[in-house]
Amino acid sequence: MPLLNDEIRQEVSKILANLPGPVRLVMFTQQFECEYCAETRQLVEEVAELSDQITAEIYDFQADQAKAESLGIDKIPAIAVIGAQDYGVRFYGIPSGYEFASFLHAIQSVAAGKPELSEATLKFLDGLIKPVHIQVFVTPTCPYCPQAVMLAHQMAIASPMVRSDMVEAMEFPQLAIKYQVMGVPRTVINETVHIEGAAPESMVVAKLREALRG
Amino acid sequence: MLDFKLAISQPEARPSEEVYDLIILGGGPAGLTAAIYAGRARIHTLLLAGPLPGGQPANTDMVENFPGFPEGIDGPDLARRFVAQAERFGVRIVHDSATGVDLSVRPFIIRTDLATYRAHTLIIAMGAVPRRLGVPGEDRFFGRGVSACATCDGFFYRDKRVVVVGGGDSAIAEGLYLTRFAREVVIVHRRDQLRATQIHQERAFANPKMRFVWDSVVEEILGEKTVTGVRVRNLKTGETSVIEADGVFIYIGMEPQTQLFAGQLELDKWGYIVTDRRQRTSVPGIFAAGDIQDPLYRQLVVAAGTGTIAAMEVEKYLEMYPQNHQENHQGGK
Repeated sequence: MPLLNDEIRQEVSKILANLPGPVRLVMFTQQFECEYCAETRQLVEEVAELSDQITAEIYDFQADQAKAESLGIDKIPAIAVIGAQDYGVRFYGIPSGYEFASFLHAIQSVAAGKPELSEATLKFLDGLIKPVHIQVFVTPTCPYCPQAVMLAHQMAIASPMVRSDMVEAMEFPQLAIKYQVMGVPRTVINETVHIEGAAPESMVVAKLREALRG
Repeated sequence: MLDFKLAISQPEARPSEEVYDLIILGGGPAGLTAAIYAGRARIHTLLLAGPLPGGQPANTDMVENFPGFPEGIDGPDLARRFVAQAERFGVRIVHDSATGVDLSVRPFIIRTDLATYRAHTLIIAMGAVPRRLGVPGEDRFFGRGVSACATCDGFFYRDKRVVVVGGGDSAIAEGLYLTRFAREVVIVHRRDQLRATQIHQERAFANPKMRFVWDSVVEEILGEKTVTGVRVRNLKTGETSVIEADGVFIYIGMEPQTQLFAGQLELDKWGYIVTDRRQRTSVPGIFAAGDIQDPLYRQLVVAAGTGTIAAMEVEKYLEMYPQNHQENHQGGK
């Protein structure tokens, strides 16, 4: 039973037609698959079928521990969306509901390797000398969330110092508790600075500055 | 049950030389309906969808009063259909928001974080945003126990008690939605009866998880690190009391999003854009539709209706000033 129905499949094929470069979807599950691990694997495989440019690589989180570590993957289900290089674009938990849009956008963006950000933001990101880790907590039913996820992923593509995760809060309740997530989107920068809601680009940059000062 | 919603177009920097016949600000029912009409009229149109593509339906669990869907329709699904229909007729939809406008020059100028756009006509359909209570604790806990989006955040209140502030359709419909997760949903309403549609009232009163606190307003949201409750005041007796709760959802109506236009367009005393029956604003060539200019009804079909009128008026306006139109076709792509 496919996850994507025919209508969605056709639309996705259109969206992913003419990708400017190859994309690897590196997915981690385990032998006894976690909640949504099986579905996430299936989703990755189904999406990969819809474009010649996309390949799915499935790994076992335990058996392929070294691989997971090399990609900085610390929980499953996980997807690293990798283009000509690994920009640090990650999805933890299944990108379903509204997050499917973030997932497709990430594929398009790493294929192009050209971030869609303002000149001022690009300049700021170019000057980064410290690493930045952005985690965006979401639920699949949140229409505001993809905006925050897409922006974080664009920043990862723009700078080798930035890595950005979508984290599906329902699948990682322990992280939702740790980061006091009671509403989404909630963006956590370098463990210290939080943003509630889908903030405009300029505000996220201001929060990055704040995190780097701290 | 997993579902997969498709994107609308992504943000993209556009060359600023291009002059559109029409830019629609806002991607809700009013803006998207205007886009469908403009697309079919072959008007060279750009739509800036803003932060919530699909508008308020995208944030609504179930829409039951839109004609043609006797069983009701999932709000996000309806929103997606609007977007797909507008795109089908060739309207370019960009996921970007206006951050500044200059309505004193021709063509009009719209600025966003990513680009600057120009157009001969505008339809402003940016809708309304949820009104805040303006009480202590609200800002501090917004996104951390205080919410205006039950579909986004309901999950975090499984087996907990939540307070819903308001007595209209949104408060009751979203309160009912929250009963799927929460142990108890306490409706705090300033009057002694609900304003919501009768059918919503019947469902609310029949739901064993729903409780009602009448004639009361929230004066403070309480808590140290997390929300622990609200302090309410009874307007009839003047007494205050505390309702323990883990979360607060605020549905006390909407405010038009018109800060960008203050001083450039005529607004009424509540901040709504003033329009006439042809959806014209105080500036020729600029039209407004949907909740941003509707203090009275704020219904999906009305928004779609005013979007239709605005688009038809734009078509007439462009015919009256064909120079602009032609200039665009030479200057366009």
